[in-house]
Parts: sequence; C-alpha cells; structure tokens
Amino acid sequence: MEDDLRRRNRIRPAVLGTFGILFLVLCILGLFVLAPGFADAEEIVPAERSQLANSKGEVVFATLLQDEPTHPPSDQACRLCHADSDSEIIFSSGETLPVAVDLEALSMSAHGTHAGMPLACTDCHAPVDYQFPHEPVAESDIRSFEIARSATCERCHQQPHITSHPGPESDSPVVCTDCHGSHNVLTIDQWQAGEGTETCVDCHMESGVDFVDPVQLSQIIRDGFFAERADNDYCLACHSQPGIVLTFENGDEISVTVDADALHDSVHGVDNPWQPLACTDCHGQLEFPHEEVEATSAREYTLESNSRCQKCHEGKFEQALDSVHGAALEDGNLEAAMCTDCHGAHDTPPPNEPRERISHTCEQCHSTIFNTYAQSVHGEALLVDSNPDVPTCIECHGVHNIADPTTSLARIQSPQLCAQCHADEELMAQYDISTDVFETYVADFHGQTVTLFEDHPDPTVETNKAVCYDCHGVHNIRPVDDPENGIKVNLLETCRQCHPDATANFPDAWTSHFPPSLQNNPLVFLVDTFYAVVIPLTVGALGFLVATDIFRAVRTRFRK
Amino acid sequence: MSEKQKQYPRFRIGAQIEHLILLVSFTILCITGLPQKYIEFPLSQALIDLMGGIETTRIIHRWSAFALIAGSVYHLMTGFYRFYVKHERVRVLPDKKDVVDVRDYVLYNIGLKDEHPKMRKFNFGEKFEYWAVVWGTGVMIITGFMLLNPIATTSVLPGQIIPAALAAHGWEAVLAASAIIVWHLYNVLIKHFNPSMWTGKLPRNQMEEEHALELERLEAGGSPWQVVDRPVLLSRRRNFVIASVIFGALFLAFVIWIFTFEETAITTIPRVTEEIFVPLGTPGPAG
Repeated sequence: MEDDLRRRNRIRPAVLGTFGILFLVLCILGLFVLAPGFADAEEIVPAERSQLANSKGEVVFATLLQDEPTHPPSDQACRLCHADSDSEIIFSSGETLPVAVDLEALSMSAHGTHAGMPLACTDCHAPVDYQFPHEPVAESDIRSFEIARSATCERCHQQPHITSHPGPESDSPVVCTDCHGSHNVLTIDQWQAGEGTETCVDCHMESGVDFVDPVQLSQIIRDGFFAERADNDYCLACHSQPGIVLTFENGDEISVTVDADALHDSVHGVDNPWQPLACTDCHGQLEFPHEEVEATSAREYTLESNSRCQKCHEGKFEQALDSVHGAALEDGNLEAAMCTDCHGAHDTPPPNEPRERISHTCEQCHSTIFNTYAQSVHGEALLVDSNPDVPTCIECHGVHNIADPTTSLARIQSPQLCAQCHADEELMAQYDISTDVFETYVADFHGQTVTLFEDHPDPTVETNKAVCYDCHGVHNIRPVDDPENGIKVNLLETCRQCHPDATANFPDAWTSHFPPSLQNNPLVFLVDTFYAVVIPLTVGALGFLVATDIFRAVRTRFRK
Repeated sequence: MSEKQKQYPRFRIGAQIEHLILLVSFTILCITGLPQKYIEFPLSQALIDLMGGIETTRIIHRWSAFALIAGSVYHLMTGFYRFYVKHERVRVLPDKKDVVDVRDYVLYNIGLKDEHPKMRKFNFGEKFEYWAVVWGTGVMIITGFMLLNPIATTSVLPGQIIPAALAAHGWEAVLAASAIIVWHLYNVLIKHFNPSMWTGKLPRNQMEEEHALELERLEAGGSPWQVVDRPVLLSRRRNFVIASVIFGALFLAFVIWIFTFEETAITTIPRVTEEIFVPLGTPGPAG
C-alpha cells in the first residue's frame, strides 16, 4: 500500500510536470503564431466602426451596430496573459500595479463588445509601445503612469469637456481615467444614470476642492490643449482611420482619411530634398477639435486648400493664377484646375514620372482632347513607346503658366513652338525628320506673313495665313505619309480648307518644305540660280563702270 | 558756273510725267516689297510697322503696282503717239556703236584714251536702263499677276510656277533696286545733278559730256523732235485719240479684272470649337 502510494506520489508530479511543459510550449507557439500581427504596428486594423462628421465638420464617432461584435484577433495575444495573471508592475517608487485586466468589465464598458463599439487593446495601448516582450514601464509611479496613459484617450476624443479640471501641466492633474475609469469606462447610459457621481464626490471630498473653483482652471485648457502636440502621428491617429468624412453645408462629402503610406512616399515625404513635410506645414497648427470649416462645398474647400501650396511654391502658384485655369477660376468657373487637381493632395507623386503621367493628368479633365492626342503621332509615341522626345501636353501648352491657345497671339507664335523641336537638328536626326521645315515655311508666303505678325502682333487682327497646325492638325497630327490621315494624301483637301477654289495643280504651289533643288521644286531652283548669276554680273558691271568714272574724276582733280 | 551754261531741250513734258509716275511707284513698290523679301531684317519689320502692318503694306504695294502698270500703259500710248502721229525714229534701240561707246568710255576713264566717246540723244547707259525697266516691269507684272491670282494661274500652269514667280518677283526687285542705286543714282545725282527730268533741259557741259553728237545736231539747227505738217498731224491725232480712248478703257477694264480676278483665300480661318472640359468620371474626394 505504502509502496503504491509512494509510487503514485512519484508519478503525479511527473505527469503534472509533463502537462505543464506541454502547456507552456503551446503558449509560446501561440505567441509566435500571433506575434507578427502583434508586433507589426501597421497591420493592426482598428475595430470597424463608422465615423461621421457633424454639420460643423467635426469628426465624432458613432457606433455601428454589428451583429456579433468581436474583438480583433490581436487582442487574443494580450488576453492570453492579461486575462489571468498574478504579475505586477513594480514602479521605482515601490508601488505595484497588477497587470491583470478585468475582461468582463472591459466587455461591459463603453469600449467593449457590450456597447457595440469594441476597441482593440492596441487601439489605446499603441502597438509600438507594447511590443512583446514589453519594455519596462518608463513612469516612476502609478500616478505618472495613469496620467501618461490618459493621453491615449485624446486620440479619439475631443478636448476634455469638463474644462475646470486641472490638466496634465498641473502638479496634481485630473486625467480622463480618474473619472471615466480605464478598462471599465462607463457608458453614456451609465453616466446619465448617475453611476459616475460617486467618483466626483469621492475625489472632491478627499482633495477638499470646491466643485466649482475658477482658480483651479486648467492652464492647458486655457492655452489650447493640443497646440503643441500636432505631429504627424498625432493627426494620423484619427486621419489614418478609413471612412472619416467631412460633410459640407451643401451635402458634399469628402474623405478626410489620409493614406499615410502615400504621404510618406509622395514628393513631400521622405524623399523631399528639404525635409519630410509635417501635416501642420500645410495645414497650420490645427487645434483639436478643428475649427469650423468655412467652405460651404467640397470644391470651395479644395480651392481654398490650394493657397497652402503657395507657401512653398509661390512662383508656380502665381503662374497658375495667370494661366487659363486661373482666368477661368476668376470668371467663376469653379471646375478650373488648381494645384491639387493635377498634383494630388497628400499623395503628390513626381508629376512627370513617368512622362506619360503628364498627359494622363490633363486627361482627367480634357478626356476627349486626350483621346485625339493619343491617336496622334506624338501621343502614340508617348503612350505606346514611352518616347522621351515627343511632346506631352505641357511642351506645347506650358505647365503652370498655360496660356490661352485660342488667341491670335498664340496662333501666330505657334510655328515657333513647333520649331523648338522640329528645327532642332540633333533631336530630329534620331527620327530622320527634316529640320528644313521651319526655314522653308518662313521662306514661303504663309510663313513670311506669320513671321511678320509674330514679332509685331496686332491683337485685333488674326492672320488668315496658314500656320503649322492649320495643315498638320492640332492634337490629331498624323505622320505626313500616313495612308489615311497623312497630309500627303489629303493635300488638296487641306489646301481647300482655306482656298476653296483650289484646283489639282494648286497644292504644288506649296514647296512641301523642300529647299529648292534640281530634285524638288526645280523651277524655283532655276529662277534662284538665274538671279544668283545675273544680279552679281549686272551690279558688278555697273559698279565697274561707276568705279572707272570715279577713278577718272579723282585723277582729273588731282592733276589740276 | 552751271548757271551760265546754255540749256538744251532734252525731255518733253510727257516723258517727265512718265518718269515721275515711275519714280513714285517704283520707290513705293521697293519700300513695301523688299521688306517682305527680307522679313528677318530688323529694318524691314520697322518699315512694315510704320506702314501699318503687313496687310496694309500689301494693299499699298498693290495700289503702287496699279500706278506702275498705268504709267507703263501711258508710256506705251505716248510711244505710239510718237511712232504713229509724229513718225519719230526709235532712238532707244541699242546698236553696235553703244558697245564701242562702253569700251571707249572705260578706256577714257582709265586714261588709255584721250577723248570721251561722243554719244547720241540716248547713250549706252540710258538705253540699258530703259530696257532694264522694260524687262523688269514685264517680269514684275507677270509674276505679280501670278502671285495675286495663284488659283487661276495654277488652273493653267503647273503649281510650282507660284513659288518660282515669288522667287523671280523678289530677285528681280533686288536686281532693279541695286541697279538703280549703283548706276542711276550715281549718274543723275552724284556725278552731276541732272535736272532734265524736272526741267526738260540739260546744261551744255552735261550735253557735251554725255550727248556730244546730239549737241552737235542741235547746234547745227536740228530740231529736238520730229516736225509734222499740221493738217497731217491733226488727222493722225484724231485717230490716235479715238484709239487711245478705246485702248485706255480696255486697259482699265483689264487691270480691274486682274486685281479682282479671284478670291484666293477665305479671309477668316473658321474657329474650331472643341469641348474642353470632359472629365473622366467623377473626380474622387480631394482628401
């Protein structure tokens, strides 16, 4: 019997030990499985909820009733230890704080599943600070710890509403958790039922402070609670949450969710040659809650926002105001494109990388013109071959200082514009395109006239002489030898646009950009050659006769 | 000295009028035309500006061309008058003696000959100038017509005639202007001031140098111009007036026909309207 008992006593610790080790191994394995979601802050997805803006544009949270509210999976990792633990935080002051969390109270709290608005542990305990194994607690005592943790509430909640309580700047501040509790935050219903009153009474009785004492009014609240705290993380605490919208008087809604990654990767992000921009660099030292937005519509708000770009991009901004878009805006056309319409707001990419992006940007508003351009010799090369030389929209129209292309000045200056590339020998050599086009144009009747107009433009007169695009097209320029739409097969038709009575011989009156030679325009070449001989001969002979006469006159006078 | 010089008749009033018309129209044609050939020359653009822009300049050019053509026709008619009514010899045709005169003129100038060649009413230089004007005016009128009426021209001739005409028109102007400046202006303004186109007369010293044979003829009692018996003159003159009225009317009609021959091009390029604001779908929120 005794042997039996002894054996059993020997076996029992062994069995328990084995199970215990097995359990520990499973725990550790579980941690490893969940740890990636736990450790990687960016993958933590806050519990889904809808966030609506009130008419003032302030963001408030409203609950979204879910069928079966559940805690985010990452919580399981926290709960694994914090549900039932005897561990304590030991502060340097000697105070201790149990790490166990009353999960049932949490669940019943305003932030719990019971209220239909479950917060994840990491929503308040930022995952960056709570990697596992946890860093030692920085605060030296429980009170400092409570004050520091209370700052977490401000991530979602507006300025503390009981303004007479001294804030964290005070020697003895009253922080959120003092009244609301931490994991067991009271719901609105509970507050309204008076369940919190006891807290107030207890505290005021204990501290001996009157319930209303203006001297104790929080300095921080007087200065503006959040004025010094507006770093990107602070703003993104709210603005990285999906689905936050700003509603305007006219019912327009815009998303105020900011894609932190896109901001980070934008030209204003890490690669900014100056320094990565902070939210407040553009938005100013916005206080929270934000000031009421004055714009009455989304468009008005966007247009107002453009002045933010001006701070750094003054020159470009001024150019844009002088452009067709600026003029249209001044005329009351609110659709006119300004900074963010082309460049984006938070996700500003390098605007010309790849080059196709430029024309696609214009396409946003000018889609039919873009479609025409896409079919053209230039557009095709850009969009299909990513050709680095063909003009995108801006090479002809300009970037910020886009001028009105329909003025008579634009018309008469247009040949110069084409010539910028088409008279560039180095550039054209790559494509075997003649650079004589401009010279021969200027040498011809049309070009002569237009050149004269160009240097001395009379804004009231629009010349009827053809410029490049009258014959070659504007956005729909095709190669000259295109079998369908090329100018060569349509030359007579093209001439007849301006010369309705033109006959079949008439197109030959145009030298087709060939400098006269025996092969091309031989008749012109012969005339030129004839006069190249006759003029020097005649003038030379006459000059010779005059010279001999002068010689005689001088000699006669000298002899006298 | 020159005041004391005896004056000899040289040009009739008709010739002086012809010269004046030619002088004015030719000058205006050069001023309005040459800048169009040399458009990139800064002075050209200043001139064209001064004249009220290129379109106005071209209108002035065409009116001057009209004056030049009218002057040419007037010259043809006075020529016909002298030929038919007065039975004058045509003294402006070049001949062998002109070639010899050129040679002697050069030899004299460079000191290889002691005497200046004795020349007739029209010396070699004047004959050259006259025929140069005939040739030049002809070229300019024909090419000018082509440039003014390219569609009519190319309905008969190959298209290339138009740029060829433009080239010829420009170069011929350069040739004419250079010849006038180098030769004519030297001889009538610099060498001497030759007043004969304004007064009709030339002083003896200039006659002696440039028209020694004509001077001899006049001094021998020769009449400067052909004299015709009065009844014959009156009868021929009547015929001439009838013919010239008919010809003048025909000419006027012809020139108007030339100048309004065709509507070459539309005056205003039609505006192409294009829908510019066609956004791709609804732009997303500007967040």
